[in-house]
Amino acid sequence: MRIGTLKLSYAADEALFDTKVQWICLALLGLSLILFPFVAGPYWIYMACLVAINVASATGLNILTGYTGLVSLGQAAFMGVGAYTVAVLETRVGTPFIINLLAAGGMTAAVGVVFGIPSLRVKGLYLAIATIAASMILHFVFSHWDLTGGTRGLSMPPASLFGLALDQPHKLYWLIIPVTALMVLGAANLFRTRIGRAFIAIRDRDISAEVLGIPLLQTKLTSFALSSFYAGVAGGMWAYFFRVVTPESFPLINSIFYLAAIIVGGMGTILGGILGATFMTLVPEVLKLVVGWLTPWVPDALSLLAPIRTIVFGALIVGFLIFEPQGLAEIWQRIRRFFHLWPFRT
Amino acid sequence: MAGLALGAVEARAQAQDEIVLGGSIPLTGVFAFAGVGIHAGIQDYLKLVNDEGGIKGRKIRYVAEDTGYKVDASVAAFNKITSQNKVTLYYGDSTGFAKTINPELERKGTMIMAGASFASELNDPKKFPLQFLPGPDYTEMFGILMRYIAKEKPGASVAFVYSDTEFGRDPIAPSEKLATELGLKVAEKIVTPPGSVDVSTEVLKLRRARPDYTIFHGYVLAPIPEFIQQAKQMGMQSRFMGTFWSMDNSMVQQMGEAADGFMGVMPYRYYYDKEGTSPMLDKIRQMRPEYQSTAYMQGFLTAMLMTEAVKRTLDAGKELTGTNMKASLNTIKDFDTGGIVGVPVSIPGNSLPVGRIYRFDAKQKQMLPASDWIQLGK
Repeated sequence: MRIGTLKLSYAADEALFDTKVQWICLALLGLSLILFPFVAGPYWIYMACLVAINVASATGLNILTGYTGLVSLGQAAFMGVGAYTVAVLETRVGTPFIINLLAAGGMTAAVGVVFGIPSLRVKGLYLAIATIAASMILHFVFSHWDLTGGTRGLSMPPASLFGLALDQPHKLYWLIIPVTALMVLGAANLFRTRIGRAFIAIRDRDISAEVLGIPLLQTKLTSFALSSFYAGVAGGMWAYFFRVVTPESFPLINSIFYLAAIIVGGMGTILGGILGATFMTLVPEVLKLVVGWLTPWVPDALSLLAPIRTIVFGALIVGFLIFEPQGLAEIWQRIRRFFHLWPFRT
Repeated sequence: MAGLALGAVEARAQAQDEIVLGGSIPLTGVFAFAGVGIHAGIQDYLKLVNDEGGIKGRKIRYVAEDTGYKVDASVAAFNKITSQNKVTLYYGDSTGFAKTINPELERKGTMIMAGASFASELNDPKKFPLQFLPGPDYTEMFGILMRYIAKEKPGASVAFVYSDTEFGRDPIAPSEKLATELGLKVAEKIVTPPGSVDVSTEVLKLRRARPDYTIFHGYVLAPIPEFIQQAKQMGMQSRFMGTFWSMDNSMVQQMGEAADGFMGVMPYRYYYDKEGTSPMLDKIRQMRPEYQSTAYMQGFLTAMLMTEAVKRTLDAGKELTGTNMKASLNTIKDFDTGGIVGVPVSIPGNSLPVGRIYRFDAKQKQMLPASDWIQLGK
């Protein structure tokens, strides 16, 4: 129950988490994330890492599309830039993985800024097409440059920490989850700053934002840079996770996947990126589990139900868009509001 | 009660004794056309083995997951299957997956793997010591095609048309070298963007080169029919050829008029092939009266070679480790596949370097043999 919250200072009013209940929930979440690898099997740890990588990338796209209103279909290609940066640094230079990840973010941010330049002139669908063009150019570079290993791509050794090779999901978990948590926390805090609020102002009405004194090009490019930084780091983690990077690792369909994730999750909310990426990654796997349970009763359920599973996944997405256009995050908010007054009002 | 308990213990003992073949199978997605056949082929061969009592009394259980032909889903399936079962054999769905899972395969050291990829890169026992290809790799497929060409028309000119993908570019560079060695002339190399449909400019380029033979690679169907149709309309006399994944009979039939005379390399015999004695093909026709794709044959033969490796390892009294099974697999010499491959096969390294040229006959609507079996290295 939370009827009202007493705030005695501006700092308390601006706080990201303003109630004790939130802090307790957060502590519980942190604790469960720490305990998770000790109780879960390799498959679920693998899935947790994959979800975390997708959350990091979707959060990046959310900064650009959800908060700044610039539609991008280049997120997967930007992840590719990050993945290749890590692979090249790991195989040719041998720098520590933290430096490689930061370099992947930096490099991708730079590439993102270049491809973000058209955003001053074009918006909406036009910008989406411009970002598709960007991803095509990047794919061409990936598959034709000697440095990126051409069509065969690059294979790389695992990340290592004090001589310990992070070659398995249960070891990489301790790298991927904290990095993603930091990135999500960073994004949440971003929108309490002037830059973050400028993004929102541009999304809501760019002309008004300019009248208010927000430099459009600079702010839009900052958004592109930040979003690409997130994609780059996510791509870098992806590279450490799979250790083979090829031009086919980041197809256009993956960019659509991330866009779908933030739409399903809820654009313009941090929670939306997290829930959307989790939903899009885990639901196909959960549906596979359901098919697995049916196997004893339906002979060869796997091949019979495979197409149905795909249809159900599609139908779920359409269903969410129709019945909850503001995304999964809104459902979560409703649940929270319900408990604010519970049990006095249900 | 005691009987029940005994039964349960027995069942557990049996379960511990069973051999598991895991599979990341693309039952949905762009490669589903092959995945469905592979899935059925593996299941059918294992049914035959299990009906005869398994390998030395040990049954083989097939545990598969759909991957949608996505590497992350394939790895997820691998993790899921290997964490829930003691897996000895594994079927992977793509080159990307084979490369990604290789370090883990070596780390575990408990299984051998084959799959839907015939990438030349995988045909390296040093880099991929626990994997094998149930047929010739793409470079070897080109080798078989060009040996046929060199024999049919010495000094002929050939053109390579391939997609700008890892799959498409795979055999091109080594095949150019081989063409020179065989006295053939590579008249033109045309690379098309992945998924391209309009190929008119590429056809003009091909027409200028006037090759005697044109080899397509890196495609399943499109844009091969468009290419052939336009080339034929321009009066080109070139013979058009394909590699394994564009050679299924039902797939070639879909090419319509362009299919007539289409040739290519196939390491397995077609479902309807009744030449000579072929007990395995007879059994397949008995189990499934309707046509089965070449992907089915690929899955069937993969399961056969894998179980043979297990059998030979157990016969030698060795433990079922990846290294032991791979060593047993490499002892396969002049092995009779019951008619799946038309000649006895050997696996000296990571591949099965054998194939035959087939040509589509429009009247019979079938791919029919156009050459003898060609074995590389013999």
